[in-house]
Amino acid sequence: MSRRRMSNWAVAMLVALVPLQAANPQQSPSPVASPAAQYRQILSRYCVTCHNERLKTAELMLDKANLENVSAGAEVWEKVITKLRGNAMPPPGAPRPDQSFYESFPAYLETEIDRAAFARLNPGRPTAHRLNRAEYANAIHELLNLEIDAESLLPTDDTGYGFDNNGDVLSVSPTLLERYLSAARKISRMAIGDPALRASMEKYEVPYELKQDGRMSEALPLGSRGGAVIRHYFPADGEYVLRIRLSRTGDRANGDGGRIRGVNLRRHLDVRLDGARVQLFPVGGERFGKSTQAGAFGIGGLFQADPKQLEYETYGADAGLEVRFAATTGPHRVGISFLVEDRSEPEGVNTGTGGGSREPGVDSVVIRGPFDAKGLGESPSRRRIFVCYPSAGGESGSLVKRAALKTGDDEETCARKILSALARRAYRRPVTEQDVARLLGIYKQARSGGGFEEGIRVALQRILVGPKFLFRVEEDPSNLPAGSVYRISDVELASRLSFFLWSTIPDEELLSLAERGKLKDPVVLQQQVRRMLRDSRSAAFISNFFGQWLQLRRITELSPDVEEFPNFDENLRQAFQRETELFLESMVREDHPLKELLDADYTFVNERLAQHYGIPDVYGSSFRRVTVTDVNRRGLLGHGSILSLTSYPLRTSVVLRGVWLLTNILATPPPAPPANVPNLKERGEDGGIVSVRQQMEIHRKNPVCASCHLRMDPLGFALENFDAIGKWRNTEGSENTPIDSSGTLPDGTRIQGPGDLRKVLLAKSNQFATAVAERLFTYALGRGAEYYDQPFVRKIRRQAAPDYRWSSLILAVVKSEPFQMRRTLEP
Amino acid sequence: MIFKKAIPRRTFLKGAGAAVALPLLDGMIPALATAADTVTKPVLRIGFVMVPNGIIMEKWTPATEGAGFEMTPILEPLAPFRDRLLVLTGLDSKQANAWPGEGGAYHTRASAAYLTGVHPKASDGRDMGAGISVDQIAAQELGKHAQLASLELALDPKQASGYCEGGFACAYLGTICWRTATTPLPMEDSPRVVFERLFGDSDTTDRSARLALVQENRSILDSIIQEVNSFRATLGPKDRAKFVEYLEAVRDIERRIQLAEEQASRELPTLERPAGSHPASYEEYAKLMFDLAVLAYQTDLTRVITFALAFERSSRAYREIGVPDSHHPLSHHRNDPTSIEKLVRLNTFHLKLFAYYVEKLRSTPDGDGSLLDHVMIHYGSGMSDGNLHMNENLPMLLVGGATGKLKGGRHVRFPVGTPTTNLYLTLLDIVGTPMEKLGDSNGKADLLSIA
Repeated sequence: MSRRRMSNWAVAMLVALVPLQAANPQQSPSPVASPAAQYRQILSRYCVTCHNERLKTAELMLDKANLENVSAGAEVWEKVITKLRGNAMPPPGAPRPDQSFYESFPAYLETEIDRAAFARLNPGRPTAHRLNRAEYANAIHELLNLEIDAESLLPTDDTGYGFDNNGDVLSVSPTLLERYLSAARKISRMAIGDPALRASMEKYEVPYELKQDGRMSEALPLGSRGGAVIRHYFPADGEYVLRIRLSRTGDRANGDGGRIRGVNLRRHLDVRLDGARVQLFPVGGERFGKSTQAGAFGIGGLFQADPKQLEYETYGADAGLEVRFAATTGPHRVGISFLVEDRSEPEGVNTGTGGGSREPGVDSVVIRGPFDAKGLGESPSRRRIFVCYPSAGGESGSLVKRAALKTGDDEETCARKILSALARRAYRRPVTEQDVARLLGIYKQARSGGGFEEGIRVALQRILVGPKFLFRVEEDPSNLPAGSVYRISDVELASRLSFFLWSTIPDEELLSLAERGKLKDPVVLQQQVRRMLRDSRSAAFISNFFGQWLQLRRITELSPDVEEFPNFDENLRQAFQRETELFLESMVREDHPLKELLDADYTFVNERLAQHYGIPDVYGSSFRRVTVTDVNRRGLLGHGSILSLTSYPLRTSVVLRGVWLLTNILATPPPAPPANVPNLKERGEDGGIVSVRQQMEIHRKNPVCASCHLRMDPLGFALENFDAIGKWRNTEGSENTPIDSSGTLPDGTRIQGPGDLRKVLLAKSNQFATAVAERLFTYALGRGAEYYDQPFVRKIRRQAAPDYRWSSLILAVVKSEPFQMRRTLEP
Repeated sequence: MIFKKAIPRRTFLKGAGAAVALPLLDGMIPALATAADTVTKPVLRIGFVMVPNGIIMEKWTPATEGAGFEMTPILEPLAPFRDRLLVLTGLDSKQANAWPGEGGAYHTRASAAYLTGVHPKASDGRDMGAGISVDQIAAQELGKHAQLASLELALDPKQASGYCEGGFACAYLGTICWRTATTPLPMEDSPRVVFERLFGDSDTTDRSARLALVQENRSILDSIIQEVNSFRATLGPKDRAKFVEYLEAVRDIERRIQLAEEQASRELPTLERPAGSHPASYEEYAKLMFDLAVLAYQTDLTRVITFALAFERSSRAYREIGVPDSHHPLSHHRNDPTSIEKLVRLNTFHLKLFAYYVEKLRSTPDGDGSLLDHVMIHYGSGMSDGNLHMNENLPMLLVGGATGKLKGGRHVRFPVGTPTTNLYLTLLDIVGTPMEKLGDSNGKADLLSIA
């Protein structure tokens, strides 16, 4: 790397030429210097005082950095680009170059770097990538047509660069492999049916904090109240026993305690299987003597009530809620709800605090069986697996009654067909003779002890726990020289596509197009991407990508303090989640431009959520699209989900919200706080209550704090009118201090309230788009975006400009060099 | 809508008293203790229990040293076990301190260095590294005689979202156990899964079912090894390393399988596998996991158990004891007396739960004594003053008789600057798996001479 040393004379000449704020007017003009030289001058004046080899501030040394051969120093310059595009440096308080520099210098650097990057491509090499939990579950569904509860089978995955599909962090420990073995066994048994099946039991609990005041689901009858819908997998044809337990008034954490809620009211409990009624139970309202006090179950209640009545009210009333019914093998929907008796009572949302509803509710449901099993019927997964069936033999075990279509093959031929088909889909590529031989070996071993189906089952288990299923491996062609770049095969591309857009293995259409080499055709590729986005399986992309990028998964962990926010319940939590889910789905499926994430004039609410937001005239528990007329509520920043997950249990946090915005929307995350930062003081020196704003004055006054906080705090303050659960407020605290949502940005702009905040964010749409492009890149490739990827990220952004619609962004990622190509190992 | 399936603890597992699912448990235990093992020498087990975010040291550290020390408010729940208790003061985990240029990843470093004595590699995930942890060193040897080399338990779920302390992957906060310098071990927070790890995959602990399972697994695993070996050579180094990890996991399970076959004569209490997830209250949840730990020691399914009552930087609120504040922000008390009082209550609560564990160990017969006679359990935190993120003078203690090798009833104060790893080396000596160096150790801690 060569170094240029400027003579003092040349420096003085440049000072006169370049329009700097403190130019010395006494120097005479001189010939134009190269851009590199000009920029070197500016860096020396404003940056090198801290960022030099002696001080090594933030490990960034600019005094010797090469401006002539920019691409050679790309790693350093990319950091500079990020800071300058984010207007983050020099820090507030230090002298700044002219604003034009913040556009011209990054553009100069980017042009240089990109030119070199596209001349000598480095698309990177994603590491062999283990399927994460969500991908595993989806793959099982795609392969075997079977839904599994992945959370109970496998542990949470580690995350890297913000996503849990990062190939480098997804490791395999012995514990995890055990879980895979165990999961594979359970799944293979469920999929094929277990001839040695014994009756088992599953219990489903309704969250205690979920209010059952209205119709709980579209799948429950109209005019019903409370209860639950359960999707249960019935492992065999036969009879099953379902038992219902009603909600108690006591806290479940303390055991059974308490009286059955609403036990004095006569109600009817309706039980349905796939919408058809199985039973209608009359429940409640019986009298055996004097009752306990309504709601109070203390010692006083005990002594006052008649013992028979007491027993009825605490155990008897739901002791008989048991029904036996027949079901076929496979997944079915069980619906349990109360019929609405009194039509004069207003339906729906009861937002009362404390006592809550006085109507009965369902606490839990237990399903036991099968009893009198009539055999293992043809479940959806069996139909998928048994593409043929041997004509002779092939049956074993006492519970087998096969309606399978016998196709006249002998056992081994049929086993070969079945296992080849399964392996092709499971491994996402044409099978080799070696693959099949291996599986047949396992099949034969298991078949000798247990019969044809057992042989298939163990071979299936082997597929599900083997490396070609659990890992996505891309193999370099052997004939290529080291350090060269090549296009990945169609089959590998198909996998990258399906894991990106569906978090699962390719479906038959995609796989067969790839096998026939058709994915190379850009028209076909584009068609497939659009098809995949329209398909319902893209819900996985929306849930996994946005859920992690915007940290929406934290909604399930929210625990607003019960005394501070008595109105927060499970219904509201679920509503927050659903609103944001539906909103993001509409953004992607309807192909809206990126800025509408922040600025949309619509959202999705049900009655509960509408009440929370103050939107009038919305009734019922189902979600529907509404226009957002309140300008403060527009976009994601008005969603209860985002507003709550950026707050603490007891109060809002200006800093959390500011950090969220800087990190996720502006891609300029602040560095970690220094040591020993104390808690906020709630009372001032004089003992008076101090507002959050006043408490945070120290952020402004102390220069160590100011460098970061002057960027974060104003953003967070702008949202202060939204409390810690997203409700609009004009005052805070016991003394009704008015909310002051104003703030000053580092560049001097004053903002107040969500409207101004949105304007500021939308003005930085290029930065936002770059942030999104980088996140999409990281998620799509399963590896972090390194400095040498930035040219590709920039290209993605440019290709999707100016609207940055989701289909453009996604297509640009799919067409990018890192997505379609790979580098072989360096020599 | 789909709701999580769960079984309340009551019907799942109960040490004493009637429980629907375990009619035979109490009855089987005496048979277990006398039938299978003819080993007369009692087996020494080791365990580690960790609490995060520091402890209020003024209410923890006894004023005097030696045998006459008085129980402090936080340690009070352990008063009944005083003669089996060693309070250890003055140990440092200096490897948890920030290096120049490192930002505020205090809890991450404390978590990674706690049982390893190694400063973790600043990595967002690509190349994580710490050091092997003391429990895993013990497990390498002790695990040879038990079906499970070690058991890792936790009461916090692994952090779901990627938002962790700057510069370090979230994975560092989600565990304190490292099998090797680059293999962090997941810590299980589901009681059902722990049950399955202990008692196998079948719905029952019946012996012939277990054996059949064992053989089936073996043929599958052999086939996998063959397959991986066939393509490993064509991979690049990073990919190859992934598969080496995978193969090692496979071999580890094969080893267990072999042990399981050898120990097939061992009868286990008949238990039904529960379907549940987490009990509603933290206390119930902790007790359930402690019950499982005792069961694991009792049945000799493992001899090394590490248990994180919460992870570093845990934000759990403990409403049930009147502390609705999130733990981590609360631990930055800035000397506010109300916050400190709440933290003392919180710290004492953890010790109360630990005391439940110790009591269960004491009341479980083992050979010619109790489990408590034959274990050595270490309890501590990776920080002393959580407010200032201090990694020196950590709160630590030992309980148990360690088959006669530990003399309890004392408060031992180590010389200033003694690394925790010196203590860990001493523990490894006691448990019979000696090492000369671990992490930042510079000798071995003297547990015996202070009277």
